[in-house]
Amino acid sequence: MRETRLWSLHLLVIPIIAILLGAHFALMHYAPIFYGVSVEEARNFETMIERGKSVAQLVLYILLLAAGLYHGLYGMRGILRELPLTPALAKLVDWGILSFGIFIFALGAYVTWWTFSFKIGG
Amino acid sequence: MNSNKPTAYNNRLGLKGWVYAGRYTFERYLYLGHRLSGMGLIAYMVLHIIETANRMRGVEAWQGLMALFASWPFKIIEYLLFAAAVFHAMNGVRLLMTELGFFLGKPKEPVYPYSSSVMRHRPLTYIIMALAGLLIILGGSSLFFP
Repeated sequence: MRETRLWSLHLLVIPIIAILLGAHFALMHYAPIFYGVSVEEARNFETMIERGKSVAQLVLYILLLAAGLYHGLYGMRGILRELPLTPALAKLVDWGILSFGIFIFALGAYVTWWTFSFKIGG
Repeated sequence: MNSNKPTAYNNRLGLKGWVYAGRYTFERYLYLGHRLSGMGLIAYMVLHIIETANRMRGVEAWQGLMALFASWPFKIIEYLLFAAAVFHAMNGVRLLMTELGFFLGKPKEPVYPYSSSVMRHRPLTYIIMALAGLLIILGGSSLFFP
């Protein structure tokens, strides 16, 4: 049952990733086509900080972070667990991936929060 | 008989099982591509999170990093990343359809010559992969010739 839930969640986050990653690509990599500004302008420090001050951006980026990391690390876990591992090693893989995921999520969320609370000129 | 011994039947071929296509041919290579692109994307995502933390070091550090990303080698890496994301997403759509039983045809009597669900699914596989190829080409043309 636990594995079914984990697998279902892995599938359920796909639409979130598809929409938010698509928007991220459009904004950061294809800005001239979708927003009519150059890529350099879209990635400029001031523009990035200004964008990061929006609550919607804060929430959506943290959501993308969580969804992307979960989907990717769950997939990675599946690949590693297909290898002939002893039960102890399989458990180590689970805990290692979970700890790593929490650490990277915390870092990403902190950077997003830092951008949101950045005071221009302060 | 030792049931813990890895065999071909319990799907524990290890690394060899990743690259051995068996009799599934095209779909098996898509599976391999899905794994490789997935591993590449998660590796990039982790690096990307670490790299974006660079903004906390100030304007100069950030602008320096962005100038590096504007160089040609990084543009190529960025394009490969885009291609991997498109392939992974499109193949993921195919896998979801298979998982949910779409376009596999109805079950029927196994009468020779047998038709497998993989073969019934294959036209859709070709359409989805052609679409992925088209998006990859379009994405490249927009990235390199804006």
